[in-house]
Parts: sequence; C-alpha cells; structure tokens
Amino acid sequence: MTMLRRALVALGVAGALAAALRLRGSGGVPPQGGGWRELSGPDLR
Amino acid sequence: MRIAVLGLGAVGARAARQLASSDGVDAVVLRDPRPDLVAEVSASLGAIAVAEGSAADAPPDADAVVLASPAGHHAEAALELLERDIPVVSVSDATDDVDRLLDLGPLADARGLTLVVGAAFSPGLTCVLARHAAGEFDRVDEIHVAKAGTGGPACARQHHRALAQPAVDWRDGGWQRRPSGSGRELCWFPDPVGGADCYRAAVADSLLLVNAFPGVQRVTARVAANRRDRLSARLPMLRPPHPEGGVGAVRVEVRGRRGDLRGVRVLGAMDRPAVAAGAVAAAAAVLAARGELARTGAAGLAELVEPVPFLAELAHRGVKAAVFEGAAAQA
Repeated sequence: MTMLRRALVALGVAGALAAALRLRGSGGVPPQGGGWRELSGPDLR
Repeated sequence: MRIAVLGLGAVGARAARQLASSDGVDAVVLRDPRPDLVAEVSASLGAIAVAEGSAADAPPDADAVVLASPAGHHAEAALELLERDIPVVSVSDATDDVDRLLDLGPLADARGLTLVVGAAFSPGLTCVLARHAAGEFDRVDEIHVAKAGTGGPACARQHHRALAQPAVDWRDGGWQRRPSGSGRELCWFPDPVGGADCYRAAVADSLLLVNAFPGVQRVTARVAANRRDRLSARLPMLRPPHPEGGVGAVRVEVRGRRGDLRGVRVLGAMDRPAVAAGAVAAAAAVLAARGELARTGAAGLAELVEPVPFLAELAHRGVKAAVFEGAAAQA
C-alpha cells in the first residue's frame, strides 16, 4: 500500500513538473540588431 | 460591379466598407442573420448598399461573393455559389474549412471560376507576403508564419479552437501532426506589437502555402498565445470573447537560395486583424469580380495575385507591410 502511494505521489510530482515545463517553454532570443521598415514607394513598384 | 458580403461581423463589415469605396463597385449586397446589423452597416455605407438581410434563400445576384460568416460552413456556401457560376472569396482561417474549400478546386476550375481560399489576415496577407518574399530567391526552402492578435468574437473563438486542435507542419515533403501549444518560439512582430511567444496551432496557412510553393521543405504556422490561452484551450472559453481585439500583427519568414547563397527574408504587417482582413478580402473580391486573378480553381492568394500591386493596393487601403532589416532577421 505504501509503495503504491509513493508511486502515485511520484507520478503526480512528475506530471506536475512536466506540465510546468511544457507551459514555461524554453525561451528565445530577441533580435540583437536591425528593425522593421515600412514597404513603400520603390518597394511597391 | 456588384459584390455581395455574406456575414457582417468584424471582418464582413470592414470588407463591405472597403468594397463601397472601391473603384468600379456599383453595389454592395449585404446579408447577415442579424437584421439590426444589416441595417446598421447599410446605413453607414449609404446608397451603394443593398440590404438583403437573411430572408433571401437564393444566392445573391453578384459578380463575386465574400464569405465572411463565422468559420465552419464555408464549403457548403461556396459550393452553392460556384454551382451558380459566382466567384467566391472565403475569409475562413479554420483548417477544416480550408481543406474542404480546396477540394472544390476541380469544380471551380471546370466552371472557369476562382475560389479564393483564406483571404484574410492570416492566412491571406501572410500568403501575399510569402509570395513577395519568395521573389528574392531562386528556390524557396522554408516558410514560417506567425500571427498575433484576433479580430472579432468569431476570430477569438477560432483562435481558442486552434490552440486545442492538432497543428500540421510540412516537413521534408510530408505533413506532420504536432500538438498545438508546443514549439514555443519568440517571434518579433512589427511595432508596436514587438516580441511575443508563438506556438503551433491548427491554422490554415501551411495548407495554402505548401500548394503555392512546390518543392518547399518546411512550412510552419504559429500563433501568439499566453499561458492562460494554452491552459484553457481545451476547456470552453472562460469568458465571452471581446467585441474586437486590439492591434495584431503577422510575420512571415522565408528562407531560400539565390545561386549558391542561402538567405532569409522577413516580412510583416501590423493592423487590427479584422480591418486588415476586410481590406484583403475586398481587394481579392474586386480582382475576382473583374476576372483578374491568376488562375481558376481553388487556391490561396499566394497563387492568385501579383504581390507587389496587391500590397500597393492594400497600402492604399491603409494596410502597410514592412520588412525586417538587420543582421538578426531570423531571430
């Protein structure tokens, strides 16, 4: 019975950890340079 | 020209307004199950509007029809219109709708008609941006699309559904089903949207882009979402959707080769999604009514329009595209 309870607790903790990591994701890196320029004039001819 | 708009939600009403101010459009036929909405939009458009409400059973008398009703039954409506030889422009971004609309391609082709599929913000403007960016390359290897923001309530519901259904990515010549909400990527959209975490979702851009770029190796589509969106995606919506979302944006990254060189080009646009979608649908409908689309059959805008004049037309309508310039364009 104790073993079963421990197994269930371990599964629960693992599930919660996996869900938290999945929600958090692994992050990303924003652009270090450059920027947006509107397309106009010669770009659209 | 006489162009009908079926469905007067956030996108349909904007499309109707855009059509009313388009050269060569003499009448804009308005239909929606909500008579008060028909009366309101009709009053705002003036004499050019022909309010038909939802009472009329027969398809509208029009040179082209914009299907702007909520996603879900666009294929049935398009079939009925194609059988009466009316070109159709659908704004649906639901993968089921887009799949079934593309299946109507042979019928449209046989009748010499064009069925424009996914003529909205994403897909729609994204397809045109992808085609424009692809002009830089001899060969396109990868296309990655991301969208931030939603339009009206129907768009918000579709966004919610898209985060619960499996996403499809095109990889090495085949479709791969991926869990929605996975594949987090920080995408940098045009200002003022800026950076947003984007995730896989059941969005239709990939379905249209793979057809438009034969030989492409990878096509992915993501939507910006927060933790609450992802946590609650498989539940009913926790609160009613807003009447209209704020400013949204799209970003299209195209990777390809020119000669021996590999390159990346990133294009984007920022606007209220419903406003941009209305402008795209209206511009596509005018071309469809004039018979000026590139071919018959069912396809997305990447296959049907010349990107530069189309983007110039959108700029004239107030929807501006942008290019990301800088060493870290792929970030």
